[in-house]
Amino acid sequence: MNIVVSIFILTLVLFSIFTYSFVDINLSYLSNLYTGLYLNQRILLSIIYSSLIVVLFSCSYFLLTNLNRLKLNLNKLILFIVLATIFAYPAALTFDIFNYITTAKVTFLYQENPYVVYPIEMLNDPYLAFTRAANKTALYGPFWILLTVIPYFLGLGSFILTLFSFKVFIALFYIGTIYLMRRIDKTAAFFLALNPLVIIESLISSHNDIVMILFALLSLYLFFQKNYMSSFLSILGSVFIKPATLFLTPVYLGLLKDRIFGKKINQEKAFKYSAILMFIIFVLSPIREELYPWYAIWFITFTSFLRKNKFLQSLVLVFSLGLMLRYIPYMATGNYFGLTPIIRNILMITPVLIFLIYTWLKRYSLLR
Amino acid sequence: MFRYYLILFLTFLILLFPRNIFAESSYVLPYPSAMPGSIIYKLNLIQEELLRFWYFGDFGQFKYNLSQSDKYLVEAKTLFDYKQYLLAFQDLQKSDKYLKKIEPAILSAKKNGKNTTDKKKLLKEAAEKHIEELLKLKQNLPQTFKWRPEKQQGRTLNLSEAFENSIRVRQEAL
Repeated sequence: MNIVVSIFILTLVLFSIFTYSFVDINLSYLSNLYTGLYLNQRILLSIIYSSLIVVLFSCSYFLLTNLNRLKLNLNKLILFIVLATIFAYPAALTFDIFNYITTAKVTFLYQENPYVVYPIEMLNDPYLAFTRAANKTALYGPFWILLTVIPYFLGLGSFILTLFSFKVFIALFYIGTIYLMRRIDKTAAFFLALNPLVIIESLISSHNDIVMILFALLSLYLFFQKNYMSSFLSILGSVFIKPATLFLTPVYLGLLKDRIFGKKINQEKAFKYSAILMFIIFVLSPIREELYPWYAIWFITFTSFLRKNKFLQSLVLVFSLGLMLRYIPYMATGNYFGLTPIIRNILMITPVLIFLIYTWLKRYSLLR
Repeated sequence: MFRYYLILFLTFLILLFPRNIFAESSYVLPYPSAMPGSIIYKLNLIQEELLRFWYFGDFGQFKYNLSQSDKYLVEAKTLFDYKQYLLAFQDLQKSDKYLKKIEPAILSAKKNGKNTTDKKKLLKEAAEKHIEELLKLKQNLPQTFKWRPEKQQGRTLNLSEAFENSIRVRQEAL
């Protein structure tokens, strides 16, 4: 057991070091760490990335399928996972963290409404050199912008300090989500904590989806505790970070109906429908933009509670692997167009297809 | 020799029928929104007041005041076309009021360390476009107009003075 956990943590450390190959050429604050590898060694980086991802998912699969046998200490595991990833460069796979910081700067330093003023209007601002989507007004809800006042001011005006205070801030929500899950179902917490997609997207790339999810989960938990007003405020907070959790409305209506008619609340049913609804909005997300791997956090959180369904857990893990493979085509070619979107989808679907065929063959004893 | 006479004759013709040609500004004014008298217009007035707070910040105020100034100028233009002189006159004054607030927003932004180069450029373009539209309108309107509403005392609108004033406000912004 210790060996697999050690390999998992070590691979995360290696992944964190690997992220520094992607330090942006325009990021003057980290110019000492700029290597240009992401421009000159695309294939090599893609191979390293693929290898690290495969090792991480293999370890995760082994640990999750042997949870009953292995006596894993969740506290220690979380501590090591966070320590291994917190110092990683957050813009290796996506650049959203720069957008969070620049939006916070527009709001709290320039004191402009980020829903009205574009970051690009702040001419000569040094952050514009590396911020993507600077020609768009705020992309996230007002509650998220309000929350960012904390890491922004903790950064004390230093970019590096701000960058890492945002990372730590989002990591706290990852930790919070795991501990909240543990209060509901200890084993379920492992399924989220050990999913490499959740770790990479929340702790390395620092996406705010984990923040949105914590408030949604807290809302359900508070509902189960019959604390309805706090539950409502919590889901409102979640929706005002990203509106995706608005799709959980039918779950709340169902729970309210059960409560009114004096029926016992079925938590597993609530998680099941939450997972289904979040998966639907995940699948529909390309209508708005495209299928981003970190959106999977929306449903993985809820599927983790359906741990008795081993097939579903394996399928979610395999699909997570497929989603992480979506980064490879751009990493290898530097091109978002041409064959990239097609290859990205093929890479995403392939592990799922292999898994389904394998399961089907196994079920009909063809592999015995 | 005939050629010279022809040129002279054509020059005479051009001078005989003078026609103002305005410099075409690339700045684009918005479509006319709801007009006074409709329920939507009343809602728009409420929205206008709420947006004043939504557009906080120096650049926010710049955008808000410029968009309102544009909106009321277009509204005035439409109302003048329909000979609704009193309403048009009032809208023109509103447009001026909002335009006057733009410069202080730019100054405040500058004071707060923001680069205002593109905002000044945009204001200049907008002012040029406004002047262009005002000059076109002024040509087809009477100097004064006696507005006689039902059951109320009449009022003389000094349109010429209003236009001069509006143009001067915009020239100051150039």
